[in-house]
Amino acid sequence: MSASTTLIACWLGLAVLSFASVQLGSAGATLLMVCAVLLAALGKAWLIADGFMELRHAPPMWRWLILSWPVVMAAGVLLALSVSL
Amino acid sequence: MSTSLELTLRPDASPTRHLPGDLAMWFFILAELTVFALLLLTFAVAQALQPQLFHDGRQFLDSSTGLALTLSLLTSGLFAALAQEQVRQAQARRGAWLLLAALLSASVYVWLKLGEYSHLANSGLGMEHNTFFTLYWILTGFHFVHVLLGLVILSWLAERCRQGAYGPGNCSALESGVLYWHMVDLVWVLLFPLVYVLN
Repeated sequence: MSASTTLIACWLGLAVLSFASVQLGSAGATLLMVCAVLLAALGKAWLIADGFMELRHAPPMWRWLILSWPVVMAAGVLLALSVSL
Repeated sequence: MSTSLELTLRPDASPTRHLPGDLAMWFFILAELTVFALLLLTFAVAQALQPQLFHDGRQFLDSSTGLALTLSLLTSGLFAALAQEQVRQAQARRGAWLLLAALLSASVYVWLKLGEYSHLANSGLGMEHNTFFTLYWILTGFHFVHVLLGLVILSWLAERCRQGAYGPGNCSALESGVLYWHMVDLVWVLLFPLVYVLN
């Protein structure tokens, strides 16, 4: 697969996950829905980091450093919101 | 500062791992992500403390607009990444056109966001209205400033590309600028569900 095709595939994945997160968000305000929306966001962050930012070819330290940011954010948001649900 | 960081991992196969762009840009991105992390977590904690207030505040936001904002930013990111790929294949002129497309797509984001800001301000939902809108304006406003800076960077890169300043062995500055733009995307994919979706 050429680099350009990979990038377009990443964009398609990002678009599908964006539509999915809006649909999930309108389906209700349960902990399961929050988890699903955050998982979609994590998928999008991974596509941007590994696809657009090319971190899949980067030294592992930098890859994990950047990929850990959305994971920490999603965990923090889930922890905070689970209190109010 | 070095232009690219390359590490040799295994001498037999897949020999090099490459960090695109300037190393300084990666440290800048880490610093920016740290600041955005504080803002995003503040928003989430405030929502946990005042869930009804945030639920009511979110009723004034349109998730369809949020989705359109997301798609315009992501499409702009795709064009920027494709431009970088073209320059690496010695197609600088084509890269310049793709950067122009990235700029146009990002302009859609700016236009939509300004419409949203204008609508909220005219409805009396300014920064001082309540906690939700204080955090909404600070968080999205801070991100919006980054988008505006990104437009300046993309314009500069497009012009330099048009002049033939970048090529296959000389595109570290282009990679750094494009990385900044992807960082703006990365922040948005967490900001969007938190502000628009997670009721």
